[in-house]
Amino acid sequence: MGADCEDSAVQDAAREDLELHRHLLAGDVGAFDDLYERYAGAAYGLAYRLTGQQMLAQDVVHDAFLALWRAPEAFDPTRGALRTFFLSLVHHRAVDIVRKEQRMRDRNERAANLEPVAVEDPSEGVVDRAYLSVRRKEVREALRSLSDDQRQVLQMAYFGGMTQAQIAERLEIPLGTVKTRTLAAMRKLRGLLEAPA
Amino acid sequence: MTDHERIDALLAGYVLRSLAGEDASEADLLLTDHVPDCTGCRETLVAFQTVAADLALSTDPVAPPDTLLPRLHRELESRERRPRTLGVLAVAASVVALLGLAGTFLQGERVGTAQSRADALSNILRFAQENDAQMVPVGPTTQVAAADEVFLFGSNVPAPPPGTVYVVWVESGGQATPLGWFLPSGDGWVYRHFSTGGPYDRLFITTESAEVSPSAPGDVTWQSAG
Repeated sequence: MGADCEDSAVQDAAREDLELHRHLLAGDVGAFDDLYERYAGAAYGLAYRLTGQQMLAQDVVHDAFLALWRAPEAFDPTRGALRTFFLSLVHHRAVDIVRKEQRMRDRNERAANLEPVAVEDPSEGVVDRAYLSVRRKEVREALRSLSDDQRQVLQMAYFGGMTQAQIAERLEIPLGTVKTRTLAAMRKLRGLLEAPA
Repeated sequence: MTDHERIDALLAGYVLRSLAGEDASEADLLLTDHVPDCTGCRETLVAFQTVAADLALSTDPVAPPDTLLPRLHRELESRERRPRTLGVLAVAASVVALLGLAGTFLQGERVGTAQSRADALSNILRFAQENDAQMVPVGPTTQVAAADEVFLFGSNVPAPPPGTVYVVWVESGGQATPLGWFLPSGDGWVYRHFSTGGPYDRLFITTESAEVSPSAPGDVTWQSAG
């Protein structure tokens, strides 16, 4: 797939998401099912990586989709993509659960493992979700461009659900260093991911 | 670090949900007092939010259990039998105290980014689930109440006439008590949380002059259903 095609696929998907959101506002269960088909895999993969438990991950994804159904108006199309909103919701819910469970230590070990969970990509070969595969590839390439130090703090925060203070304590480095590395990582990712495909 | 370097660092930590203590408080203040009026910071916040959400894609997708979608469908059907919800609202104390809550109000109203709304929704859901609370429509908003707390949220809430605000009241034993006031954001978004001080019979919203604190409710604009 060429860069132009990839860019077009992402834009088409965003437009389709908006259309599905409009149907969701009207209580269209079919639109809900379509959104589930699109994002359940990504959401469950994220939730499972954070929580490390299938039951917890299932609850996270369940809560997030139910929230989208119950309050679709919470998403404002003028303030970002539906994908961003929904995956943020999944991440927040998962972090809340991880912290509530207070079993951070074991999970942090797992989260610090930069290898993604090895599973079959359910979106493979599915045309209407191909853009997620495109974006996934871009995100992984961008992550690889970070220094090891930058990637480490980012992943401990995002996938480990750790606060910056906890990261500093765990790595035995100053809190200021964690902040500096995090900012550098986010800026670099922003630059790479905002660039035209 | 320059001021904006420091702000950017806080925004980066904020979108990753990794701030705590004084940093979290400082970020909340920034999101209330600075970011809404700073084009550069708003752009940075939205860009960082997008990056953070996209980090989810660095993990391989995993097919959820086959039982999840049917479980959701059962929940969807139960929702369809209730009135459609359009928002959530929470309120407490007196009107004077409400004015003192302006900072909290502004934080909820002005930082209407995708992440802050996801935060708000996440908070409401957690509260509803932990307390087995129902979502009850109040006009274009919805209340979720349990114990002595209430959440209120909504979108597409129309602005009140110029010079007026919406005031939220609870009535118990025929006695109405104002809990707070609100104005929807530019796009009609409302998100409030208050403590009610105890159980009440009904919750309603009036439209009142912004100049004086009402001692008694005027005509009811919206009231809770169900």
